Amino acid sequence: MSSRLEAEHLYKVFGRRPGDAVTRLEQGADRDELRDDGTTAAVIDASFSVEPGEIFVVMGLSGSGKSTLLRMLNGLLEPTAGHVRFDGQDMTALGDRELRALRANKISMVFQHFALFPHRSVRENAAYGLSVQGVPRAERERRADEALALCGLAGWEDSWPDELSGGMQQRVGLARALATDADLLLMDESFSALDPLIRRDMQDQLLELQKTLKKTIVFITHDLNEAMRLGDRIAVMRDGRIVQTGTAEDILVRPVDDYVASFTKDVDRSRVLTTGAVMDPETRGDEADCDCPTVTPDTPFTELCALSARLSHPVAVLSEDGELVGVVRRQRLVGFLGDRQGAPEPCGNPSVPAHVDGKVTARA
Amino acid sequence: MPRLQLGDWVDDGVSWLVDHMSWLFDAIKMVVEGLYDGIYAVLTAPEPLLLAGILAVAAWWLRGLVAGVLAFAGFALVDSMALWDKAMSTLALVLVATLVALVISIPLGIWAARSKTVSAVVRPVLDLLQTMPSMVLLIPAILFFGMGVPAGVVATLIFALAPGVRMTELGIRQVDAELVEAAEAFGTPPRDTLLRVQLPSALPTIMAGVNQVIMLGLSMVVIAGMVGTGGLGGAVNEAIGQLDIGLGFEAGLGIVVLAIYLDRMTGALGAQISPLGRRAAAKARTAGTPKLWNHRPRPVVALAGVVVLALVAGGLGIFGSSAQTTAATGTDVGQGKKVTIGYIPWDEGIATTFLWKELLEERGFNVTTTQYAAGPLYTGLATGQIDFQTDAWLPVTHAEYWKKYGDQLEDLGKWYGPTSLELTVPSYVKGVDSLADLKGQSSKFKGRIVGIEPSAGMMGLLKDKVLGEYGLDGEYEVVDGSTPAMLAELKRAYAKKEPIVVTLWSPHWAYSDYDLKKLKDPKAAWGEGDGVHTLARKGFADDNPEVGDWLKNFSMTEKQLTGLEARIQQAGKGGEQDAVRAWLKANPGLAEKWAPVGSSEGKSGANGVSDN
Repeated sequence: MSSRLEAEHLYKVFGRRPGDAVTRLEQGADRDELRDDGTTAAVIDASFSVEPGEIFVVMGLSGSGKSTLLRMLNGLLEPTAGHVRFDGQDMTALGDRELRALRANKISMVFQHFALFPHRSVRENAAYGLSVQGVPRAERERRADEALALCGLAGWEDSWPDELSGGMQQRVGLARALATDADLLLMDESFSALDPLIRRDMQDQLLELQKTLKKTIVFITHDLNEAMRLGDRIAVMRDGRIVQTGTAEDILVRPVDDYVASFTKDVDRSRVLTTGAVMDPETRGDEADCDCPTVTPDTPFTELCALSARLSHPVAVLSEDGELVGVVRRQRLVGFLGDRQGAPEPCGNPSVPAHVDGKVTARA
Repeated sequence: MPRLQLGDWVDDGVSWLVDHMSWLFDAIKMVVEGLYDGIYAVLTAPEPLLLAGILAVAAWWLRGLVAGVLAFAGFALVDSMALWDKAMSTLALVLVATLVALVISIPLGIWAARSKTVSAVVRPVLDLLQTMPSMVLLIPAILFFGMGVPAGVVATLIFALAPGVRMTELGIRQVDAELVEAAEAFGTPPRDTLLRVQLPSALPTIMAGVNQVIMLGLSMVVIAGMVGTGGLGGAVNEAIGQLDIGLGFEAGLGIVVLAIYLDRMTGALGAQISPLGRRAAAKARTAGTPKLWNHRPRPVVALAGVVVLALVAGGLGIFGSSAQTTAATGTDVGQGKKVTIGYIPWDEGIATTFLWKELLEERGFNVTTTQYAAGPLYTGLATGQIDFQTDAWLPVTHAEYWKKYGDQLEDLGKWYGPTSLELTVPSYVKGVDSLADLKGQSSKFKGRIVGIEPSAGMMGLLKDKVLGEYGLDGEYEVVDGSTPAMLAELKRAYAKKEPIVVTLWSPHWAYSDYDLKKLKDPKAAWGEGDGVHTLARKGFADDNPEVGDWLKNFSMTEKQLTGLEARIQQAGKGGEQDAVRAWLKANPGLAEKWAPVGSSEGKSGANGVSDN
């Protein structure tokens, strides 16, 4: 099995006769029709797979069904239809007891509001999953302390959750999830309740930890910036359906519809785009013949801009084996930053520079 | 509207339960009584002040030095008011009721929190239990459990159950849903989720519920006193019946001391057993500068203190318990046989009850006297819980009770009579000497005749007959109330010399305390007076032929009765039997006349006993 986690045509319907509702949805009924009958379709026909070591982000606004989707992945909610496979094992076929064992050993979860047990110390909180597994006290405390240290909380083991700041509390939540050595980490809006600066710290720390731990992570968020920072791949949900799955660049550069495109408007493109997405693959063939610096398709957008500003001609893009794969003109860079791509238009009024209509100015 | 015979169904249901489920009630009764006896024995074993010391150390440990000192002062006060045994009896009753209430209510609350159906079913039942006037439930409780502690515990329990269930359910429902989800996400089995996450988080709320259970239990103590649980509740009832404000206040104060102690201790205990509470308390302690009056001994020290005191107490208890109270003298007819006398706290009832207690104890019986309200007293007699009572006003005043229970009772005859029922005004009300004079005077009396319990026979007679005979029907309103309220109203009006008409009867001590005028009844509307009868349970006279004969032949003159009553009044609370003894000594020959154990009859009496 290559995929760690697979979701196949998952449905979750709340209300009366959910089975009928699924049939109607399969026949093309939409969510609003069902709502009139008093049933709520939270997740409709969701399919995706998550590879080992990957951070898979599910992005959507509130009510889009992303939290419901997440809870089907560890069996807290039973899918109305469809299958979840974890390491090839169909979770929907498991009994309560086996499901609990799976959750205790293989799948951890980090919550939006931390969900720390107020009557347990930081160490006891971090050791919670291990105590459910039945690990002896001495060992679970050692492993809890290790997990806390990993999350930057060494020295806080004997404190109580309410003595900690929000960011630190969520580190405890993360340590609790990591302490069990679970392969799969489910993170439900885990950083959404934190201040922007703390959130950024936590994102950095998660990425840092991921470099060494290589967990498989499904991360839920409503913040596309966060999704793009963290996600190897992103699934965008709308009204219970996954409307697009792809890399950050896919979402940004090739949105499937206006809805996804409207999301990307507020994204700081310069942090997401790489040269590969921006370059013009049509080359004359001699752009790299001077001694000027060149870039690779992986070069971040900001570096590309800095280089482009120093050169008098378009920047050449070379592949890893030194082959010319594309060029980047300065005009094209500015266009991407402003979400306007294509050829320059002819200027009708010489006193007004082309391309500088109000909208673009405002965004620049 | 068709008349729903709901009341009859309830009647039938209760009878069915009494007939078919008595094994269950007996089992419950046994458990409750066992618990009560155990706790009461422990509480009364040590010297009062030693136990006060133990309780004070517990308070010191849980709350600090000030609390300890105050607790000791409070309990010393109870002891100095000579209410210690009663207070301990009440404490034992409340502890048993609380214990049983918690055993029922916490699991029920947990169940209700986990199931909406259970919650929906339990809620209206709790509403019913909590708001149904407790007296309504008290009589069935007597039928099921008999008089005494179990009925009192059940009455208390029914009332105190609700907050326990509600607070437990609330506490568990209030636990953050994300916490429960977190527990489930880590694979916690449902039982562990309850024990390790929900209950610990809900603990402060549950402890608040426990506290409420105890406080409501204490508030029910007075009601429970009406079914013969004794204790401070019995003392309060007695004081109310005799309009003894001082004794009522003392007993009430005893309840208050218990209430405050239990309230503060359970509050502090709640903080002690939940980790969150412990931390909050520790924070509060370290925040301020350490002071002597905030000092709390460490648990080990406190425990050691309690153990030392308990050992001392136990030692004293062993040496102190050798005193025997019953020393049978003379001819031993009873041979330690148990006799239970119930009484209503009316003066002639108290006088004759203690008279017979003294006479029977002299003759070797083991007599218990317990005070009841009239309703429970008759129920107790009918069910055989009580052997006899001496204060049945028949055929009028207690007509209702006789109608209900007459065929389950044995009338041992009248010992005093005739009594009379009357309307009475203070002597300072001029120009009103007869019932006929009341006509046209309603404005003077504000149109009110101050009555007693609406269930009393004389109230029915007054409303249905007497008022009509004298044409007072539209003019006066008979105010239903209670005997103590009527007497208090009379006392108040008398002090201010306000005109007042009350329902009263003779003999009554009010006639000796106040200068009152019985209104003449020329049309004889009140009818023949009652006789004061002795009633026994069915079979009592057969079981105890001598006592049966003595009671059947018993009679008292007005002079003897008022003389004895006056003695008892002088001796005051607790001195009833001594007063009886002194009075018998001053009236030689009466004891032998009422309960003869002569040489000739002695033989037949002895034979009678051996025949049994």
